[in-house]
Amino acid sequence: MNETRKLDLAWLSLVLLSVGGAALGGQPDAGFMITVLVALVMGIKVRIVCDRFLELPTATRRIRQLMYAFCYGMPILVILTSAFGDALARLTAKLII
Amino acid sequence: MRRERDNPPLQHRTFLSAMSQAGTLPAIPSPAPAASGRIPGSKAMWVGIFCEVTEFALMFAVYFVARAHHPEIFRNGPAQLSLLAGTGYTLMLLTSGWCVARALHAMRASRQRACLQWMMGAFVFGLGYPVIKLFEVRWNLAHGLNGDAGVFIVTYYYLSFNHLIHVFWGLLGMIWVMLRTGTGSYSAEEHSGLESFAVYWHTTDIIWLMIFPLFYVLR
Repeated sequence: MNETRKLDLAWLSLVLLSVGGAALGGQPDAGFMITVLVALVMGIKVRIVCDRFLELPTATRRIRQLMYAFCYGMPILVILTSAFGDALARLTAKLII
Repeated sequence: MRRERDNPPLQHRTFLSAMSQAGTLPAIPSPAPAASGRIPGSKAMWVGIFCEVTEFALMFAVYFVARAHHPEIFRNGPAQLSLLAGTGYTLMLLTSGWCVARALHAMRASRQRACLQWMMGAFVFGLGYPVIKLFEVRWNLAHGLNGDAGVFIVTYYYLSFNHLIHVFWGLLGMIWVMLRTGTGSYSAEEHSGLESFAVYWHTTDIIWLMIFPLFYVLR
Protein backbone atom coordinates (compact mmCIF):
# COMPACT_ATOMS: atom_id res chain seq x y z
CA MET A 1 0.00 0.00 0.00
CA ASN A 2 1.45 3.40 -0.93
CA GLU A 3 1.74 6.33 1.46
CA THR A 4 -1.20 8.35 0.12
CA ARG A 5 -3.47 5.30 0.36
CA LYS A 6 -2.39 4.89 3.99
CA LEU A 7 -3.30 8.54 4.62
CA ASP A 8 -6.73 8.05 3.08
CA LEU A 9 -7.29 4.97 5.20
CA ALA A 10 -6.19 6.85 8.33
CA TRP A 11 -8.64 9.66 7.59
CA LEU A 12 -11.48 7.18 6.99
CA SER A 13 -10.67 5.39 10.26
CA LEU A 14 -10.68 8.71 12.13
CA VAL A 15 -14.06 9.68 10.68
CA LEU A 16 -15.59 6.31 11.56
CA LEU A 17 -14.11 6.38 15.06
CA SER A 18 -15.39 9.92 15.63
CA VAL A 19 -18.92 9.10 14.55
CA GLY A 20 -18.84 5.81 16.46
CA GLY A 21 -17.43 7.52 19.56
CA ALA A 22 -20.12 10.19 19.44
CA ALA A 23 -22.84 7.53 19.20
CA LEU A 24 -21.21 5.63 22.06
CA GLY A 25 -21.25 8.51 24.49
CA GLY A 26 -24.56 9.90 23.32
CA GLN A 27 -26.39 7.40 25.48
CA PRO A 28 -27.69 8.78 28.78
CA ASP A 29 -26.29 7.39 32.05
CA ALA A 30 -23.10 6.08 30.51
CA GLY A 31 -21.34 3.81 32.98
CA PHE A 32 -17.68 3.38 33.80
CA MET A 33 -17.14 0.93 30.92
CA ILE A 34 -18.44 3.52 28.46
CA THR A 35 -15.95 6.03 29.92
CA VAL A 36 -13.14 3.50 29.37
CA LEU A 37 -14.33 2.92 25.78
CA VAL A 38 -14.53 6.66 25.07
CA ALA A 39 -11.00 7.11 26.47
CA LEU A 40 -9.81 4.19 24.35
CA VAL A 41 -11.32 5.69 21.19
CA MET A 42 -9.69 9.03 22.09
CA GLY A 43 -6.31 7.31 22.49
CA ILE A 44 -6.61 5.42 19.19
CA LYS A 45 -7.63 8.54 17.25
CA VAL A 46 -4.82 10.61 18.71
CA ARG A 47 -2.33 7.82 17.96
CA ILE A 48 -3.47 7.65 14.32
CA VAL A 49 -3.02 11.43 13.92
CA CYS A 50 0.41 11.25 15.60
CA ASP A 51 1.66 8.37 13.46
CA ARG A 52 0.09 9.08 10.06
CA PHE A 53 -0.38 12.86 9.87
CA LEU A 54 2.26 14.15 12.29
CA GLU A 55 4.77 11.45 11.21
CA LEU A 56 6.03 11.03 14.77
CA PRO A 57 7.65 7.60 14.17
CA THR A 58 10.35 9.36 12.10
CA ALA A 59 10.77 12.23 14.59
CA THR A 60 13.53 12.55 17.18
CA ARG A 61 13.12 10.53 20.34
CA ARG A 62 12.48 13.54 22.59
CA ILE A 63 9.70 14.97 20.42
CA ARG A 64 8.16 11.52 20.08
CA GLN A 65 8.24 10.78 23.80
CA LEU A 66 6.85 14.16 24.85
CA MET A 67 4.00 14.01 22.36
CA TYR A 68 3.11 10.43 23.22
CA ALA A 69 3.19 11.29 26.94
CA PHE A 70 0.65 14.06 26.33
CA CYS A 71 -1.46 11.95 23.99
CA TYR A 72 -1.63 8.88 26.25
CA GLY A 73 -1.75 10.92 29.46
CA MET A 74 -5.12 12.42 28.60
CA PRO A 75 -7.12 9.19 28.10
CA ILE A 76 -5.50 7.76 31.24
CA LEU A 77 -6.52 10.87 33.20
CA VAL A 78 -10.09 10.54 31.89
CA ILE A 79 -10.28 7.00 33.30
CA LEU A 80 -8.55 7.90 36.58
CA THR A 81 -10.78 10.93 37.17
CA SER A 82 -13.82 8.80 36.52
CA ALA A 83 -12.64 6.02 38.84
CA PHE A 84 -11.06 8.10 41.62
CA GLY A 85 -12.91 11.42 41.36
CA ASP A 86 -13.54 11.55 45.12
CA ALA A 87 -9.86 11.14 45.94
CA LEU A 88 -8.93 13.87 43.47
CA ALA A 89 -11.59 16.15 44.99
CA ARG A 90 -10.13 15.57 48.49
CA LEU A 91 -6.57 16.17 47.26
CA THR A 92 -7.50 19.42 45.56
CA ALA A 93 -10.02 20.66 48.13
CA LYS A 94 -7.76 23.53 49.18
CA LEU A 95 -7.55 24.78 45.58
CA ILE A 96 -11.27 25.52 45.45
CA ILE A 97 -12.21 28.85 46.95
CA MET B 1 36.32 6.12 26.89
CA ARG B 2 33.94 3.22 26.59
CA ARG B 3 31.22 5.52 25.32
CA GLU B 4 33.59 6.87 22.63
CA ARG B 5 34.55 3.35 21.61
CA ASP B 6 30.89 2.31 21.29
CA ASN B 7 29.85 5.51 19.55
CA PRO B 8 32.94 7.06 17.90
CA PRO B 9 32.95 10.66 16.59
CA LEU B 10 31.75 11.21 13.01
CA GLN B 11 35.22 11.59 11.42
CA HIS B 12 36.37 8.35 13.09
CA ARG B 13 33.25 6.57 11.89
CA THR B 14 33.85 7.78 8.32
CA PHE B 15 37.41 6.52 8.48
CA LEU B 16 36.33 3.21 10.01
CA SER B 17 33.59 2.83 7.39
CA ALA B 18 36.11 3.40 4.62
CA MET B 19 38.42 0.80 6.18
CA SER B 20 35.60 -1.72 6.54
CA GLN B 21 34.53 -1.14 2.93
CA ALA B 22 38.12 -1.75 1.85
CA GLY B 23 37.86 -5.12 3.56
CA THR B 24 40.43 -4.45 6.25
CA LEU B 25 37.91 -4.28 9.12
CA PRO B 26 34.69 -6.11 9.85
CA ALA B 27 31.52 -4.31 8.80
CA ILE B 28 30.32 -1.57 11.19
CA PRO B 29 26.61 -1.65 11.95
CA SER B 30 24.91 1.67 11.26
CA PRO B 31 23.24 3.43 14.25
CA ALA B 32 19.66 2.41 14.99
CA PRO B 33 17.27 4.81 13.19
CA ALA B 34 14.99 5.13 16.24
CA ALA B 35 17.77 6.79 18.22
CA SER B 36 18.32 9.56 15.69
CA GLY B 37 15.16 10.65 13.83
CA ARG B 38 14.46 14.06 12.38
CA ILE B 39 12.66 17.21 13.45
CA PRO B 40 9.49 17.50 11.37
CA GLY B 41 9.17 21.15 10.29
CA SER B 42 11.44 23.42 12.30
CA LYS B 43 12.80 23.44 15.83
CA ALA B 44 11.18 26.84 16.51
CA MET B 45 7.75 25.45 15.62
CA TRP B 46 8.21 22.60 18.08
CA VAL B 47 9.06 25.08 20.85
CA GLY B 48 5.76 26.81 20.06
CA ILE B 49 3.91 23.50 19.96
CA PHE B 50 5.20 22.41 23.36
CA CYS B 51 4.14 25.81 24.76
CA GLU B 52 0.67 25.21 23.29
CA VAL B 53 0.55 21.66 24.67
CA THR B 54 1.60 22.91 28.13
CA GLU B 55 -1.09 25.61 28.03
CA PHE B 56 -3.80 23.09 27.18
CA ALA B 57 -2.45 20.54 29.67
CA LEU B 58 -2.97 23.14 32.42
CA MET B 59 -6.50 23.86 31.20
CA PHE B 60 -7.27 20.13 31.10
CA ALA B 61 -5.99 19.90 34.69
CA VAL B 62 -8.51 22.60 35.64
CA TYR B 63 -11.21 20.57 33.86
CA PHE B 64 -10.36 17.38 35.78
CA VAL B 65 -10.29 19.18 39.14
CA ALA B 66 -13.62 20.89 38.38
CA ARG B 67 -15.09 17.55 37.26
CA ALA B 68 -13.93 15.86 40.46
CA HIS B 69 -15.58 18.55 42.57
CA HIS B 70 -18.83 18.76 40.57
CA PRO B 71 -19.40 15.27 39.14
CA GLU B 72 -23.16 15.72 38.76
CA ILE B 73 -22.86 18.99 36.84
CA PHE B 74 -20.23 17.52 34.51
CA ARG B 75 -22.27 14.35 34.02
CA ASN B 76 -25.30 16.36 32.91
CA GLY B 77 -23.30 19.06 31.09
CA PRO B 78 -22.79 17.42 27.67
CA ALA B 79 -26.57 16.96 27.27
CA GLN B 80 -26.87 20.76 27.13
CA LEU B 81 -24.44 21.08 24.20
CA SER B 82 -25.14 20.10 20.61
CA LEU B 83 -23.50 16.73 19.87
CA LEU B 84 -24.12 17.41 16.18
CA ALA B 85 -22.03 20.59 16.34
CA GLY B 86 -19.25 18.76 18.23
CA THR B 87 -19.16 15.97 15.66
CA GLY B 88 -19.22 18.59 12.89
CA TYR B 89 -16.12 20.35 14.30
CA THR B 90 -14.33 17.02 14.57
CA LEU B 91 -15.08 16.00 10.99
CA MET B 92 -14.09 19.44 9.64
CA LEU B 93 -10.78 19.47 11.47
CA LEU B 94 -9.93 15.85 10.64
CA THR B 95 -10.70 16.37 6.96
CA SER B 96 -8.71 19.59 6.92
CA GLY B 97 -5.77 17.79 8.57
CA TRP B 98 -6.00 14.98 6.02
CA CYS B 99 -5.89 17.57 3.17
CA VAL B 100 -2.78 19.16 4.72
CA ALA B 101 -1.10 15.73 4.95
CA ARG B 102 -1.96 15.07 1.28
CA ALA B 103 -0.61 18.52 0.35
CA LEU B 104 2.69 17.69 2.04
CA HIS B 105 2.92 14.39 0.17
CA ALA B 106 2.15 16.17 -3.11
CA MET B 107 4.94 18.68 -2.47
CA ARG B 108 7.39 15.87 -1.71
CA ALA B 109 6.47 14.39 -5.10
CA SER B 110 7.14 17.80 -6.77
CA ARG B 111 3.44 18.23 -7.58
CA GLN B 112 3.11 21.92 -6.64
CA ARG B 113 -0.28 22.38 -8.30
CA ALA B 114 -1.77 19.39 -6.50
CA CYS B 115 -0.25 20.66 -3.26
CA LEU B 116 -1.98 24.02 -3.69
CA GLN B 117 -5.30 22.32 -4.43
CA TRP B 118 -5.04 20.16 -1.32
CA MET B 119 -4.17 23.26 0.73
CA MET B 120 -7.24 25.03 -0.60
CA GLY B 121 -9.34 22.03 0.44
CA ALA B 122 -7.73 22.18 3.88
CA PHE B 123 -8.60 25.88 4.14
CA VAL B 124 -12.25 25.35 3.17
CA PHE B 125 -12.70 22.55 5.73
CA GLY B 126 -10.70 24.49 8.33
CA LEU B 127 -12.98 27.47 7.81
CA GLY B 128 -15.93 25.19 8.56
CA TYR B 129 -14.82 25.15 12.21
CA PRO B 130 -15.40 28.87 13.01
CA VAL B 131 -18.57 28.85 10.90
CA ILE B 132 -20.04 26.00 12.99
CA LYS B 133 -18.78 27.76 16.12
CA LEU B 134 -20.74 30.89 15.16
CA PHE B 135 -23.97 28.92 14.81
CA GLU B 136 -23.31 26.92 17.96
CA VAL B 137 -22.64 29.97 20.11
CA ARG B 138 -25.84 31.62 18.85
CA TRP B 139 -27.74 28.41 19.62
CA ASN B 140 -26.12 28.20 23.07
CA LEU B 141 -26.99 31.79 23.93
CA ALA B 142 -30.57 31.27 22.73
CA HIS B 143 -30.77 28.36 25.20
CA GLY B 144 -29.37 30.41 28.08
CA LEU B 145 -25.90 28.86 27.99
CA ASN B 146 -23.93 32.03 28.74
CA GLY B 147 -21.11 32.81 31.18
CA ASP B 148 -23.47 32.46 34.15
CA ALA B 149 -24.65 28.96 33.21
CA GLY B 150 -22.42 27.14 35.68
CA VAL B 151 -18.96 25.65 36.01
CA PHE B 152 -19.32 23.17 33.13
CA ILE B 153 -20.28 25.79 30.56
CA VAL B 154 -17.62 28.25 31.80
CA THR B 155 -14.93 25.55 31.53
CA TYR B 156 -16.26 24.64 28.10
CA TYR B 157 -16.15 28.23 26.82
CA TYR B 158 -12.70 28.79 28.31
CA LEU B 159 -11.19 25.70 26.63
CA SER B 160 -13.06 25.83 23.34
CA PHE B 161 -12.48 29.56 22.75
CA ASN B 162 -8.79 29.08 23.47
CA HIS B 163 -8.81 26.31 20.89
CA LEU B 164 -10.69 28.56 18.46
CA ILE B 165 -7.92 31.17 18.79
CA HIS B 166 -5.37 28.50 17.86
CA VAL B 167 -7.50 27.51 14.87
CA PHE B 168 -7.52 31.17 13.77
CA TRP B 169 -3.73 31.29 13.97
CA GLY B 170 -3.67 28.12 11.91
CA LEU B 171 -6.00 29.56 9.26
CA LEU B 172 -3.82 32.67 8.99
CA GLY B 173 -0.77 30.42 8.67
CA MET B 174 -2.59 28.42 6.02
CA ILE B 175 -3.17 31.56 3.91
CA TRP B 176 0.54 32.34 4.16
CA VAL B 177 1.56 28.81 3.19
CA MET B 178 -0.87 28.84 0.24
CA LEU B 179 0.63 32.13 -0.99
CA ARG B 180 4.13 30.67 -0.70
CA THR B 181 3.05 27.49 -2.49
CA GLY B 182 1.35 29.51 -5.23
CA THR B 183 4.46 31.62 -5.83
CA GLY B 184 6.64 28.51 -6.07
CA SER B 185 8.62 29.22 -2.91
CA TYR B 186 8.57 25.56 -1.85
CA SER B 187 10.12 22.64 -3.64
CA ALA B 188 10.38 18.90 -3.08
CA GLU B 189 13.79 19.51 -1.48
CA GLU B 190 12.96 22.57 0.64
CA HIS B 191 9.46 22.90 2.11
CA SER B 192 10.18 23.22 5.81
CA GLY B 193 7.68 26.11 6.10
CA LEU B 194 4.88 23.93 4.78
CA GLU B 195 5.91 21.08 7.05
CA SER B 196 6.07 23.38 10.09
CA PHE B 197 2.55 24.55 9.37
CA ALA B 198 1.37 20.95 8.95
CA VAL B 199 2.84 20.03 12.35
CA TYR B 200 1.02 22.95 13.99
CA TRP B 201 -2.29 22.12 12.34
CA HIS B 202 -2.15 18.44 13.29
CA THR B 203 -1.36 19.36 16.91
CA THR B 204 -4.42 21.63 16.92
CA ASP B 205 -6.36 18.59 15.62
CA ILE B 206 -5.03 16.42 18.44
CA ILE B 207 -6.12 18.94 21.07
CA TRP B 208 -9.62 19.05 19.61
CA LEU B 209 -9.78 15.24 19.63
CA MET B 210 -9.31 15.53 23.40
CA ILE B 211 -11.77 18.38 23.96
CA PHE B 212 -14.55 16.72 21.95
CA PRO B 213 -15.18 13.65 24.16
CA LEU B 214 -14.68 15.62 27.39
CA PHE B 215 -17.44 18.13 26.64
CA TYR B 216 -19.74 16.49 24.12
CA VAL B 217 -19.55 12.75 24.72
CA LEU B 218 -18.87 11.79 28.36
CA ARG B 219 -22.28 11.87 30.02
